[in-house]
Amino acid sequence: MSQGLDNLKHIVVLMMENRSFDHMLGALKKTNSGINGLNGDEWNLDDTGAKVLVQTKATFQGQLSHDPDHHFAGVDLQIFNGNMAPDRVANMQGFIKSYKTRDTNTDQSHAIMYYFTPQQLPILTTLATEYALFNGWFASIPGPTLCNRAFAHYGTSFGNVDMNIFYITDPILSIYDRMNKARHSSKVYYYDMASSSLEVPNLLQNQQELFGVYSDFVKDAAAGKLPEYCFIEPNYSDHPGPGGGQILANDQHPDHNVKAGERFIAQVYNVIRTNPDLWKSTLLMVVYDEHGGIYDHVVPPNCKGVDQLAGHPPYSAKPAQTGTGQAFNFDRLGVRVPAIAISPWIAKGTIVPGTEDPANQRIFEHASIPATVTSHFLGDYDARTDREKKAETFLDLLTDTMRPDDDCVAFRL
Amino acid sequence: MRIIDVPAVEKEAYNPDRPISGLIQMQLVHLSTAEQMLPPNIRRTGINIATLHTEGQAAEYIQKVTALLHRAGKAKSKTTAKTKKTASKSRKATKKPVAKSHKGRKTAKARK
Repeated sequence: MSQGLDNLKHIVVLMMENRSFDHMLGALKKTNSGINGLNGDEWNLDDTGAKVLVQTKATFQGQLSHDPDHHFAGVDLQIFNGNMAPDRVANMQGFIKSYKTRDTNTDQSHAIMYYFTPQQLPILTTLATEYALFNGWFASIPGPTLCNRAFAHYGTSFGNVDMNIFYITDPILSIYDRMNKARHSSKVYYYDMASSSLEVPNLLQNQQELFGVYSDFVKDAAAGKLPEYCFIEPNYSDHPGPGGGQILANDQHPDHNVKAGERFIAQVYNVIRTNPDLWKSTLLMVVYDEHGGIYDHVVPPNCKGVDQLAGHPPYSAKPAQTGTGQAFNFDRLGVRVPAIAISPWIAKGTIVPGTEDPANQRIFEHASIPATVTSHFLGDYDARTDREKKAETFLDLLTDTMRPDDDCVAFRL
Repeated sequence: MRIIDVPAVEKEAYNPDRPISGLIQMQLVHLSTAEQMLPPNIRRTGINIATLHTEGQAAEYIQKVTALLHRAGKAKSKTTAKTKKTASKSRKATKKPVAKSHKGRKTAKARK
């Protein structure tokens, strides 16, 4: 066991919304060839048949006001370009075609190929290059937010590939229930009461004691009362503050301002970074729930484990649920998303190889979150899916060496 | 130490009149369902979510229902705590003689 792991007392996960790896971090390849980003020659065809290259033209807001499709059928189109043959091969060629279905004109549909420069995103790109960047962290499902977030909480979506309400009937506990039943502490911090949580049907509806707001996270951290595991939800809407003022959505969901999300990531980082006790004993993960319909060049791989609880049938979504006319057996992942592990025990500039390096690849998905938390705090724990049990965990990134304070970046808000 | 200034966001970015996304739409549906399932003694918002079109309107409703859910949760945990307390009191009451006899047995064992 590394010294970093010996010192680990808290795991904090901040899950942002709807941006692909290439859109946010693809430009980093230009200065670091180990990062599996963009060369600049990746393309899709538009509706006139013109080849449209990826371009560093992404803007913070206003460009994706037509929300790109990220439902199951839309993502299927993006990945397979409409090919429904049984032997079809993914080619990531249907992103513009998909965005054109959202009432965009030809020019607007090109925006789905645009990506940010590192100068535009100083927080995310700095964290990516200062700590550990995952070249191969994928959404759990080629589909929308809620089923993907379910994997972060339960290690499965219980057969769901959409945004509909589902109530858990199988004996799989959320990571919070698992922790609390074993007398470990855990919590979900949503931003504020007007933003609330996306985990309404099973968690917020029945287990309000699991929840706090972001200001509680700040207070708990300062008071040395941070739970062993916590999950932070950003603010999902622009709304007035309780005493007046303006509170900006900081989830980065299109078309919310990306800079507001940068500020939020910096705030969460600072809460931990500026507290010496927490800094040496906390692993912060910044990860996005899904790609939001935005271009990424990496073909999503298959899952390692079966999405099945022992003694129960494997999960499968029917054609009516997927909207593609075909069933889905939870055997392949969604589109790649940004994911960064942050701790002073992580070597600067760590890159975790993905599918670009078949010999050394490590494929992560959101089931890796409960898998990692469970393995660290609970050890052997059986009542979870085969898929979660086989998911990659990330605590081996913690080394024996704690980087000196002046080697770790600070953010001035 | 490397210090990076975090860029500020332009004031014009704030737009509570922005139409709600599919994500917030689904959050409204989920919260509305949760609201309908609240215990009858909790007063409902009386808001029809079909009338909510902007982020600002949605946030106001979300805040109200989230508060209601927490209120219901607190009430539930108070009731649970009371029930547990009563149950434990009655258990204690029935256990007392057992405890005495247990103590007695122990003493007897010790004497041996």
